[in-house]
Amino acid sequence: MSDKKTFKYTADREIYSAAKVRALEALLIEKGIISDKTVDKVLSFFETEMGPFNGAKIVARAWIDADFKKRLLKDATAAIAELKLPAGMAGAEGEHIKVAENTPKVHNVIICTLCSCYPWPTLGLPPYWFKDPTFRARMAREPRAVLKEFGVNIPADVEIKLWDSSAQIRWMVLPERPAGTEGMSEKQLAALLTPEAMMGVAKVAA
Amino acid sequence: MKLQHYIGGIENLGPVEFQKRVFVTPWEERIFGIHVAMMGLSNHLSESLPKYRIDKVPTTFKSFWTWGHLRTGAEGMNPFDYFKFRYYEKWLGGISGFFVDEGYITQEELDAKTAEYLTDGNVDDGPLPKGGSSKIDKQVIQYLIEGDSPKREIDGKPKFSVGDKVIINDIPPDKHTRLPGHLRGKTGVVSEVYPGAYTYFFPTEDGLGTPMTCYAVAFKPADIWGEALSDPKSTFYADLFETYIAPAS
Repeated sequence: MSDKKTFKYTADREIYSAAKVRALEALLIEKGIISDKTVDKVLSFFETEMGPFNGAKIVARAWIDADFKKRLLKDATAAIAELKLPAGMAGAEGEHIKVAENTPKVHNVIICTLCSCYPWPTLGLPPYWFKDPTFRARMAREPRAVLKEFGVNIPADVEIKLWDSSAQIRWMVLPERPAGTEGMSEKQLAALLTPEAMMGVAKVAA
Repeated sequence: MKLQHYIGGIENLGPVEFQKRVFVTPWEERIFGIHVAMMGLSNHLSESLPKYRIDKVPTTFKSFWTWGHLRTGAEGMNPFDYFKFRYYEKWLGGISGFFVDEGYITQEELDAKTAEYLTDGNVDDGPLPKGGSSKIDKQVIQYLIEGDSPKREIDGKPKFSVGDKVIINDIPPDKHTRLPGHLRGKTGVVSEVYPGAYTYFFPTEDGLGTPMTCYAVAFKPADIWGEALSDPKSTFYADLFETYIAPAS
């Protein structure tokens, strides 16, 4: 079996992996499986079409439009489709999205204890912290302590809701709008958002 | 028991590295792109929602490849290796192993080509061969845009309603499961019944693969880990397929 070889752990680990993936891509092109542009096109799609810039626009709209927020919390996929966002907002890994709203009494955190389920169309690809087994293990049981390590103090009287994405819904958080942003435009509000805030491991700072 | 399924709640792990990057080396981007291409060219997309004309795409890739396949590989690893390797190292091992096992490439070819790129020095920029149809790229991007929805309509009612007390089954996971280990045998309350039904990429030994209702089930953390180890003011919600749930007496 090939797996004994493929999981070998070498001293020059990064250089070896880089050469191996380059070799794999070269062979896949030579064998007609992918084209010489396939990987670049996928990567550029995530840079410009599927990324956290979409989630930021969705949250900013929810902050300024209470009716939109209601629709977003009820049926996120339909509400997101109302906005002028790139094609694919119900595409791969975002076919069925739900949004959990933070309030002064409830703080939501999205996790995936089995793997790394993440809402690609609205937030792009998961950052390393989300995929880290230590995060997945600890956030499940001691969310307040992990959030504190991440610089987020959740008071003891605020309920933390953890959402483990083990089936077919992909989740994101609607963070609280920070104080002092009353005069900001929708675009300025969107610029305040981070993937971390939209997964519940950061607060939005004005 | 597969350790990979049981990571929720592990003690004594120390601080989490708050690494906000998606890729920590350039090579990781390439294996990610290859995986997306495989998903977007997978032969099952001729019968998915939506249906793709995958037979018209000029690729030599004729296999079934999904998240379920990638995860089956990760769940089949030696668990101590699983925790030793970085996220995309596991992908590189699993995906390159798949292409060898399926006969698209040989291990000797891969080793020889790897050695060529290693001698080039600057491996990330080593030139790639030219070729391949733009129709391949178009299909892969179309897959990203239109997705592969697992949602189906079924006759019949969901077995459970909001407020029902349920116990989570402890079925042997076999090669692949979507049931987190820390919830097995635990009691919770249905907090939401998702409309419609959800299928899975392929049948699993523990019952996935036919369209069924999915639920959000709310657990008191103390019921999972005991009071001393739990956050008293938190709720643990898990999205679970119906086959994993039984009525609690």
